Amino acid sequence: MDDQRTAATPDEDVVELLLHRHGEIRNLFDEVRTTEGDARREAFGRLVRLLAVHETAEEELVHPLARTTVPGGEGVVADRLAEERRAKEALAQLEELGPGEPRFLPLLDTLRRAVLEHARAEERYEFVKLAQETDPATRQSLAAAIRAAETVAPTRPHPGVESASAGSMAAVVDRVRDAVRRASAGSG
Amino acid sequence: MSFNPLTEKGIPLDRQIRNWRELDVEPIDPDDADPYTKCRIITMNAIEVESVFFCHHLNRFCTDRAIREQLAHSRYIEQQQQKVVNWLLPGTQSVLETTISYEQQAVDLTAWLARNEPDPYLKQSYDFGVLEDFDHLYRYANLYEIIEHRQAEKIVDGLTEVMPGRPTKWEHRHPVDNVRDPYDKDSVDPRSKLHTLTLVAAEQQVMNLYMNVGPLAMEPIARRLYQEIALIEEEHVTHYESLMDPRESWWERLVLHEYNECYLYYSFMQQEPDPKVRAIWELHLNMELEHLRLAADLMRRLDGRDPEEIVPRGIPETVVFEPNKAYLRELLNTQIDLTTLGAGYVREAHERFQRMQETIHGGQEPPSEQVIEEHRVRFGGHDYRLQTEGEHPDPRLQQRPVTARA
Repeated sequence: MDDQRTAATPDEDVVELLLHRHGEIRNLFDEVRTTEGDARREAFGRLVRLLAVHETAEEELVHPLARTTVPGGEGVVADRLAEERRAKEALAQLEELGPGEPRFLPLLDTLRRAVLEHARAEERYEFVKLAQETDPATRQSLAAAIRAAETVAPTRPHPGVESASAGSMAAVVDRVRDAVRRASAGSG
Repeated sequence: MSFNPLTEKGIPLDRQIRNWRELDVEPIDPDDADPYTKCRIITMNAIEVESVFFCHHLNRFCTDRAIREQLAHSRYIEQQQQKVVNWLLPGTQSVLETTISYEQQAVDLTAWLARNEPDPYLKQSYDFGVLEDFDHLYRYANLYEIIEHRQAEKIVDGLTEVMPGRPTKWEHRHPVDNVRDPYDKDSVDPRSKLHTLTLVAAEQQVMNLYMNVGPLAMEPIARRLYQEIALIEEEHVTHYESLMDPRESWWERLVLHEYNECYLYYSFMQQEPDPKVRAIWELHLNMELEHLRLAADLMRRLDGRDPEEIVPRGIPETVVFEPNKAYLRELLNTQIDLTTLGAGYVREAHERFQRMQETIHGGQEPPSEQVIEEHRVRFGGHDYRLQTEGEHPDPRLQQRPVTARA
């Protein structure tokens, strides 16, 4: 399945968009573990970028809103951030290891389960309440902001654009964070 | 020597209660488990749920305190069995994913039972029902891609095809047309009683799930689809339970429930590839053997009859979860247009059927059609299907060509 294949619509809801991304992340995990050699390396590169973009966009845009609008938001978001931190550490470890290493697959599997649990927790304890406590216009503009942040590090870059460093997690996180902050400074 | 549940020795009842450590089972991995392991878990949960509720009803009718106490004891064990079995499902699996597994289970369980059903009227009833669950799988699979952006192929793993069955909108029949005629307990093949009981349990659990989780969905289309399909599942419960002979005594039914549990745990134990899950099937079989022995004693004592008269001689061929693609395609080719009239089956849209259709649809497309339309709008004009064996056998239900957008 193509990543990000459905185009943004003007009335796209952020919860809907985030659920789509969770599905895509899970599909990519499947792709990484069922491929080999260069195909696995390539799929893993996309997984790293997708996770980095997605988690950073959530941290910069979604969690701050949940923290202030959702009852008990402070605690809910703190739990999610702890999960995200652990996932990022595991992802960095995997990146360093590389798909050729024998330890790669077991570690990937641990990360897969952790990311799946994290995504479900977000869906059940954060997004449901976010949808309840915010108006459609807020959620639509949040979706648009996430879409904009995603263009900074597309998971399927045009040929020639991708460089060795373009995919590294830390670089993607930085670029997405900068883009989001520039955009909010510009609009504020 | 073949396995005979009536003579095998089980675990004594007073050694069957489990502690927290034993109840706290490790769930299966939603992305790694065999799809049919999920189906077996779902079936056995349904069987335990039916068993528990049957026993509660029996308790309400029973006047003998000593027997009520004995029933309470074995019912508590069944409750623990239900907890262990159903808690094998992982929290990381979404409700919609569980739903798709429920429908895969309903399809391949019903199809297998139909293929192995000796009685032609009962077989026709299972054939009729399976085309409807088959359609539900297709509707939920479309909802799944809309909401979670994943394809149901990830869940059914190509073992079960996903495409339209008897369109859900045509499944809304007048309630009186869901009441079938019962088998004759004295002449029917004992295997048929087990098959029917299994289907009653399975469909009842599907109904319970949808009517309870449906309103917990956020997305309006999901809420509506669960509501519609939950109504059909109630029709299925009526359909299957009316096949059972109402003249069977309470004790006779108790024996059938316990025998069926032994039969299914024994069956699934043979097929289960996951060693931890298999160990549970084996343990539960050994518990059920004792429940069966106690039920058989009650039947002998209170009905003055021998339980061997009502159950198969030697355990029947084991129930297997396996693909039924060719069988289902044959049904799709021949039975899509059937509906019911009274206790029988007809092809024409008779007056009572049409009246019901007009009443429930109220001049608009039902949620089961809306979900497909919504999928088409979002995914380039296509509905979601998994047709591993070629085009749909019914030309009317083949993938609609995508019309160019203006």
